[in-house]
Amino acid sequence: MYRYDEFDQKAVDERVVQFSGQVARRLSGELTEDEFKPLRLMNGLYLQLHAYMLRVAIPYGTLSSKQLRMLAHIARKYDKDYAHFTTRQNLQYNWPRLADVPAILADLATVEMHAIQTSGNCIRNVTSDHFAGASADEVDDPRIWSEIIRQWSTFHPEFSYLPRKFKIAVTAAPKDRAAIKVHDIGIIIRRDAADVLAFDVYVGGGQGRTPLIGHMIGESIAAEDLLAYLEATMRVYNQYGRRDNIYKARIKILVHQIGADEMRRQVAVEFVEVKAQGALALPQVEIDRIAAYFASPAFETLSDENPTTANPAFNVWLENNVAKHKVPGYAIVTVSLKPIGGIPGDASAAQMDVVAGLAEKCSFDEVRVSHEQNLVLAHVRQRDLLTVWQQLAAAGLGTANYGLITDIIACPGLDYCDLANARSINIAQAISTRFANQDRQREIGELKLKISGCINACGHHHVGHIGILGVDKKGVEFYQITLGGSGDETASVGEILGPAFGEADVPDAIETLIDVYFAKRSPGERFLDTYRRVGIQPFREKLYAAH
Amino acid sequence: MPQVLTANRLSDGEVVYLASDGAWVERIAAAKVFTSPAEGESGLHIGAAAERELKIVHAYLFDITPAGKPVKMREVIRAAGPTVRRDLGKQAAL
Repeated sequence: MYRYDEFDQKAVDERVVQFSGQVARRLSGELTEDEFKPLRLMNGLYLQLHAYMLRVAIPYGTLSSKQLRMLAHIARKYDKDYAHFTTRQNLQYNWPRLADVPAILADLATVEMHAIQTSGNCIRNVTSDHFAGASADEVDDPRIWSEIIRQWSTFHPEFSYLPRKFKIAVTAAPKDRAAIKVHDIGIIIRRDAADVLAFDVYVGGGQGRTPLIGHMIGESIAAEDLLAYLEATMRVYNQYGRRDNIYKARIKILVHQIGADEMRRQVAVEFVEVKAQGALALPQVEIDRIAAYFASPAFETLSDENPTTANPAFNVWLENNVAKHKVPGYAIVTVSLKPIGGIPGDASAAQMDVVAGLAEKCSFDEVRVSHEQNLVLAHVRQRDLLTVWQQLAAAGLGTANYGLITDIIACPGLDYCDLANARSINIAQAISTRFANQDRQREIGELKLKISGCINACGHHHVGHIGILGVDKKGVEFYQITLGGSGDETASVGEILGPAFGEADVPDAIETLIDVYFAKRSPGERFLDTYRRVGIQPFREKLYAAH
Repeated sequence: MPQVLTANRLSDGEVVYLASDGAWVERIAAAKVFTSPAEGESGLHIGAAAERELKIVHAYLFDITPAGKPVKMREVIRAAGPTVRRDLGKQAAL
């Protein structure tokens, strides 16, 4: 994985010193809150309902064991012994003291981590496929390109004060595990007819209060031109993106208003100019230098084997949470952070240490964070799977529900978040508990259920096969259900079913939707497939007749 | 409707309430209750002064019931802690 060079380390160290001074000046009164707020946000520090919240960047969701252990250490020493993995592949501490934040950032810097650009109107943490470098279907390791984009976008002086925040995602596989079409910029890397890497650039996707699917405006961009094309896109947005209305400031609104064709034309004009300047042309030697950091680990020459045992619980976990690896004899393990009835994305310090230890011993020292709020051990020998599962299970991390109805994405909601209108974790817990039965979950099959506590959609409800949005109606929490969303290569925005449900009625409503699916599905169909074939009406009729 | 003045403590973000003696306390039960808009207005001035004195951040008033409970779920949760982690927040010490 990528290691800091002297420039990276110096920049992060200097930022720690700078922000430490800013915190000291805030505590001494030299800075008012109005002056301090934009500075703390540039360093990932929010003030939430109960306390400050620090968001730590995990570039494209890749961590070393040492880094994960440091995150656990910080949770133990400065927070309340746990942390929360987010849908941006980041990590949040919910209870840090302001005076401790400089020390936390200093600790992070010792393991090449920081909280820079995890907030504010800048280019945020670049996200990517959590199976990168391990999956057989990718044409290249998308983290190479994510890292190149990270280096270009970090402290970019022209893009530090954009109209709004800006999110970029990269995938290099036809199966989109990074939800690239609902990002401000989403990049699909593929190989053209001559087997050369080509970059398709989607612009103007996003969730929030105006969910939209991105449009491909850049097709087959050459590798050496990738940054120039991104720079051109950002320049068009920076110039024409609305700054007068926060709700219309994202690039998706610009693309929606002027149209994809006009956006494509304007970016093309800017692209010519940026290319002519030449400064952003990516030399092959630089691409190779970054690629070397992501070279495949020293895999043994093994053969695929059948790791099943006489233990049915292990076998179910194998089927659900273990994916095929590109190298024979290896496997990709998804570590579920969704225990039945638990809090999606939360992990205790002890659990983080367990995963770090397993990564060190069994997965070439690497951990991934997925945008679905799970962890991934990307390179596990098949012969080690039983040991890995046993240790995960002993730490409460062995839930066999990856991709199933209890593998729920949920934002922190009103239990923590200052912006939320309603709680979301409690709904996730209730649904998870209702559908706890393993056989039933597997009978339902793949189902992406996503919950947000407000219209900002941090829980990605718009792209849930079943999406749930918490709303406040005269002080009472209600939950609006959408169907048919998807964040994958067939991306779609979910359609609202009808009037919202009270908290207590949500599990029954989901149960009814599952009943309709069972009644209507054809052999082999997932929930989403059935929905797309039969439409919303059968679900709507049954649900509102029943409730 | 009666109101209470709340804020977050600058040093650690802890939820605090203005008490009758002018102190900022962690328990809503010890909070001063403002019974008129004029009283509430005076409370906001006290809050602004406390912000200048580096005690708190973002003071505001919220409604409570005659029984002294917050009307909105947001303030119920701030007064107690996350409903999904009863071991955290103010409720943990009760």
